[in-house]
Amino acid sequence: MNKLGRGQRDKVQQFMLITGASEKVAIQVLKASDWQFEGAFDIFYSHPHLKSVADTRHIEELYNRYKDPYADMILADGITLLCNDIQVDPQDIVMLVISWHMKAATMCEFSKQEFVGGLQSMGIDSLEKFRERIPFLRAELRDELKFREIYNFAFGWAKEKGQKSLALDTAIGMWQLLFAEKQWPLEDHWCQFLQARHNKAISRDTWSQLLEFSRTIDPGLINYDPEGAWPYLIDEFVEYLNENGKGKTSEWNYTK
Amino acid sequence: MGNEQKKRTGTMEAFKHKVVVDPNYADKTWKILEHAINEIYDQNASGLSFEELYRNAYNMVLHKFGDKLYSGLVATMTSHLQTMCKQIEASHGNEFLETLNGKWNDHNKALHMIRDILMYMDRTYIASTGITPVYGLGLNLWRDVVIHAENNQPRLQNTILELIYRERNGEVMNRGLMRTTIKMLMDLGPLVYQEDFESLYLKVSADFYRAESQEFIEVSDCGDYLKKAERRLSEEIERVSHYLDATTEEKITNVVEKEMIANHMLRLVHMENSGLVKLFLDDKFDDLRRMYKLFSRVSDGLSTIRKVMISHLRDSGKQLVTDPEKLKNRVEFVESLLEKRDKYDKIINSAFNNDKIFQNALNSSFEYFINLSTRSPEFISLFIDDKLRNGLKGVKEEDIETTLDKVMMLFRYLQEKDIFEKYYKQHLAKRLLSGKTACDDAERSLIIKLKTECGYQFTSKLESMFTDIKTSQDTMREFYAACGSELRNGPTLSVQVLTTGSWPMQSCGTCNLPPEMSILCEKFRAYYLNIHTGRRLSWHTNMGTADLRASFGSGQKYELSVTTYQMCILMLFNNADRLTYWGIEQVTEIPSSELKRSLQSLACVKGKNVLRKEPMSKNIGDDDVFSVNENFTSKLHKVKIGTVAAQKESEPEKQETRQRVEEDRKPQIEAAIVRVMKSRKVLDHNNIISEVTKQLQPRFLANPVEIKKRIESLIERDFLARDNKDRRLYRYMA
Repeated sequence: MNKLGRGQRDKVQQFMLITGASEKVAIQVLKASDWQFEGAFDIFYSHPHLKSVADTRHIEELYNRYKDPYADMILADGITLLCNDIQVDPQDIVMLVISWHMKAATMCEFSKQEFVGGLQSMGIDSLEKFRERIPFLRAELRDELKFREIYNFAFGWAKEKGQKSLALDTAIGMWQLLFAEKQWPLEDHWCQFLQARHNKAISRDTWSQLLEFSRTIDPGLINYDPEGAWPYLIDEFVEYLNENGKGKTSEWNYTK
Repeated sequence: MGNEQKKRTGTMEAFKHKVVVDPNYADKTWKILEHAINEIYDQNASGLSFEELYRNAYNMVLHKFGDKLYSGLVATMTSHLQTMCKQIEASHGNEFLETLNGKWNDHNKALHMIRDILMYMDRTYIASTGITPVYGLGLNLWRDVVIHAENNQPRLQNTILELIYRERNGEVMNRGLMRTTIKMLMDLGPLVYQEDFESLYLKVSADFYRAESQEFIEVSDCGDYLKKAERRLSEEIERVSHYLDATTEEKITNVVEKEMIANHMLRLVHMENSGLVKLFLDDKFDDLRRMYKLFSRVSDGLSTIRKVMISHLRDSGKQLVTDPEKLKNRVEFVESLLEKRDKYDKIINSAFNNDKIFQNALNSSFEYFINLSTRSPEFISLFIDDKLRNGLKGVKEEDIETTLDKVMMLFRYLQEKDIFEKYYKQHLAKRLLSGKTACDDAERSLIIKLKTECGYQFTSKLESMFTDIKTSQDTMREFYAACGSELRNGPTLSVQVLTTGSWPMQSCGTCNLPPEMSILCEKFRAYYLNIHTGRRLSWHTNMGTADLRASFGSGQKYELSVTTYQMCILMLFNNADRLTYWGIEQVTEIPSSELKRSLQSLACVKGKNVLRKEPMSKNIGDDDVFSVNENFTSKLHKVKIGTVAAQKESEPEKQETRQRVEEDRKPQIEAAIVRVMKSRKVLDHNNIISEVTKQLQPRFLANPVEIKKRIESLIERDFLARDNKDRRLYRYMA
């Protein structure tokens, strides 16, 4: 620790605070990532043995704080309280990321296992740590691979228990939330199209393929291949765009 | 015995040492030979001694004077040929060839003799030095001195070509003379034949035929032109056989084919009022046959004919199937299809040598336009229905088979065979239930043909329908045998028990039967269920028929053939004189649309109005009153009211049928997808589409969009999944 410069020592402190890692580990990881936080976090979280055991007792205390009086689960009220505590809006997309870490089965409720397991895997055992972790969680959305996982996770999480497909309104809401992060130019048209023409629930395949579509096909539809094994609904969407003159010939002002 | 003394030098020991010869020996010997040659050329050979001359030549060569002999020969022969040449040149016009031939003969004869004389030189001196042997030398000299003489060469060519030209224009020529002349050129070697004659001949012929064909095509129609071309072709072949070398045949026929046929192919085929299409329409078999034979000689000839045939078939076929007049009468529609097919079959058979490629073209054209109309499957089924109901009385068995086979051919062209199946089932059901099938054998024969074509699946339900009818007949017999005594005085019941699932039925509610009937039906039901416990019977009163004996006020008695519904209605009038529509509906509980239709047939149709309706309007209102028409008369004792014949579907019915077929297709598509994926495990999108389409092709043409939807449905149900890495690949989930 003595060989480190002032700035580096600060970083080590911060790192330890956020992740709960020991000083030794913190220095190791920060050195490995060239003193960049993002990289350091990555390394730390992908090596579970580096994490110190977050104190389960504390986590259980937290659980009890939020748990519903009549059921062994955290329900809507508990979640509202939690959001308050960690200073996050319940509609904030970071809640989705948190749910993903928890492997939550369905939105607006956490089972004990999900809550405790989730906090453990995130290495959080206090509200302070939780609050400090929020920016990192938010940053995870910018990672392409993680975003895809979270996006696909969202389908199962947002749909009704026992249903196979996702209700249209919920789907549109989720898309708006998710694409606010990703900025897909056709998002509005997609939602309009669905409401005008489809009016039915969204299948899992359509959900996951839409992400691919938004990623690989340019908004001018120039590289859209009709034989490209896209779900039927997406083919219809392309037709809809072409009908309304938003196809290949129109201009697009978008920034990538 | 003075033999021992015959030791002389001379002939026996000639080889041992050089004989001292007279220095002028060579000259002298040559002179003798030279003289002989001259004599030979002067036709004076009879006075010569072959032996002596041979010996002289032999000696010259022996004594190493072969070169002198050879060069002398060349000189002498050349000079004689020059003389001959002048004589030939001097001949006038027509005698040119004769003279030439005469001299050629002479030269040949001379050459033979000279060769024989100089044979030793040929074998030894010439063999060792490699120069041209005597005979060849003679030919070469003839060629160089005579044939290629400055005046002779062009004169010879022109004479020959002129004669041929004249012969082509109809003049008679001396073929023998021509033959020997050409033979002479051939003898002089293939190069001479080709360069001095053949290449020029081919060029001139090309020009000739080009001009002639151009001229002729302006003024003649297709058939005439073809005849002329054929004639010219055989002429040329004959010409070759008479006086040209056989190798020329192919070359000259190629010239004629090119100039007369290939160059004008398209024009002939598309000629207005006489071209290929007209030949088709008028069944001009001879002309078509001629065209086929001629065109098969040139490249792209047959494919040109084929293209025109295909486009004509497609166009005329398209017209046929979209002609609203034709579509009104479905039997005529199918008959025109059959006629068309017969016509072109005949054409291909008799004029196109049964060419398989043309057969295929015919089939693909038919397949194209038959499927242009979505009503084709229905109409073909209606045609069969018509024939099986009415059209086969008195027709011989073989003819029935032939007709059915022809219809099967049309069936094969259908892309939507499953629609045909649906209609066929409907029509068959109606035929069987109304007892209107005229020919049981024909029905069964057709089922067998369908089975052969499409497999067991297609026909299993149809066969079950036949079985049901037969079984029902047996059941009725047994029923009457068991219960007949009680039923002797009542109406006669005939029940057809149909297996659900085999028959195209919609469920329908029952109505209230007249008491006599309902008692009987109950008895039957009890009887049947007693034998077949565990089964359920439901009456389909909308499909039954009844025969009633009616007596009217005028004392007239008639037998009425009606539907079950109509029977229910009529029986009510045994107990009431007047009934309102409303009342009838209440009592019978027949569904209102059916009830209205039945009443209309009973009251509003001229000649069949056994009921009277007040008011007399066509439409049935709720308050209409009905009564028996006591004044009813009919010419026939048996009056048929309301049949259950197969009719062309109305628009809404058609839509419904199509929709049902589309629904039926979905599981079939899914089954095909699963089959394909099960065996391939992993497959990309385009390949799935093509494989599945191929599998379903015997039944219907699968729509790629529909296939895609089914794939998505299967993904939803976890039968398939997209590959993780390549989203265009699908995996089979076991």
